[in-house]
Amino acid sequence: MTIRTLTRGLWRLLHHRNCNYSTAASIKTQQPQSDRVSEEIMKLPLEKADYFRVSELFTVKDLFDARVHLGHKKGCRHRLMVPYLYGCRLDQDILDLDQTAEHLRLALNFTAHVAYRGGVILFVSRRRQFAHLVESAARDCGEYAHTRYWQGGLLTNAHVQYGAGVRLPDLLIFLSTLTNVFRTHVGLRDAAKMNIPTVGVVDSNCNPSLVTYPVPGNDDTPVAVELFCRLFKMAIRRGKDKRKQAELLYGLTAPGSPGP
Amino acid sequence: MSAVWKVVPAGRRALGRVAPVLPRSLRRCSSEDDKPKSGFAAAFVSQSELGRREASAAGASSSEREEDAAFAALFRRGPLVQMGPPGKDKTVVGRIFHVVGDDVYVDFGAKFHAVCRRPAADADKLQRGARVRLRLHDAELTGRFLGAETDVTLLEAHATLLGPLDHGPGRS
Repeated sequence: MTIRTLTRGLWRLLHHRNCNYSTAASIKTQQPQSDRVSEEIMKLPLEKADYFRVSELFTVKDLFDARVHLGHKKGCRHRLMVPYLYGCRLDQDILDLDQTAEHLRLALNFTAHVAYRGGVILFVSRRRQFAHLVESAARDCGEYAHTRYWQGGLLTNAHVQYGAGVRLPDLLIFLSTLTNVFRTHVGLRDAAKMNIPTVGVVDSNCNPSLVTYPVPGNDDTPVAVELFCRLFKMAIRRGKDKRKQAELLYGLTAPGSPGP
Repeated sequence: MSAVWKVVPAGRRALGRVAPVLPRSLRRCSSEDDKPKSGFAAAFVSQSELGRREASAAGASSSEREEDAAFAALFRRGPLVQMGPPGKDKTVVGRIFHVVGDDVYVDFGAKFHAVCRRPAADADKLQRGARVRLRLHDAELTGRFLGAETDVTLLEAHATLLGPLDHGPGRS
């Protein structure tokens, strides 16, 4: 008898614990009228492998012309980036663009899916040279950017610092994973702690461990960063446009009513 | 003499892309082929043979192999690799994209830009958007300090400003 009540109490305690994820609790999704139709819309992009056709957005030649394959010198190399290197020429590491193309396709595909499902995307970069570029790219596609000093508890202590019920981002895109003192950005570790997936451009001196979708590439040249910003913008726009199309197709949004 | 020169273009057209045809006097000497070719001549002959064999076998190559070799080919034939190592006779052309006082930031197609001091003589020509010639010393300034695990990098290239790119009558 006591064992049964004990186990019941334990089960209720565990159940309560499992429901208290901060991301799950704070999402306020606007439920459309019919749940069945919204489920159909959510399942629609999962039918095909490349539903948003992100592989058409770029070619290896585009990456090459934007100098994405150039890495730092041999002495700056991070040991975990060695699998992504094509080789080393005159002491300069060269990244393998065939691998980069594949990783970039995965990252763009994931970004488009997150945008389709109405997720909040945060662009992060601590490079002062590209702060304006990243912020304007985020503004152009209707998402958010954080290119200033990262406060310690921004993700991990959000409900204390910014009030209860604040919604955390659903995806973090790092245009550069290092800070100005060449240490890994704190946001990578914090996003992993909060179960938030990350996409990151990792150069030959970066640590790709905690990045969910690493994209080995150059993060120092303006041409390369412009290319990445443009590609992520296009992927997000494609995701959002397809979502609008799907909702119109299923007759959910009448003209004048607010979208997600 | 004119008969020799008429033979040369017809022969070249018939054979396609082959080694240049030598004038008749020299051809007679080399066709003996008793002494082994050395240096550039040997390399050229072997490479053109390989090229001819590849061209004949290329019809059967799969598109996948071509795509895999795409980056390797792009890289190998790109200007940065063809230039070779930076040295005292290597001049590159760059474009000024930022000016701070007397310092000009020049982008010359590599990973980093170079920061050079503008000489007082050409100050009016060297403005933002001007094309300049540089002597490249190092593509990235790095150094390993005592006790450090990795190099410290300045995120800059090291180059000397030679002057504005003058469009001479024979150059483009």
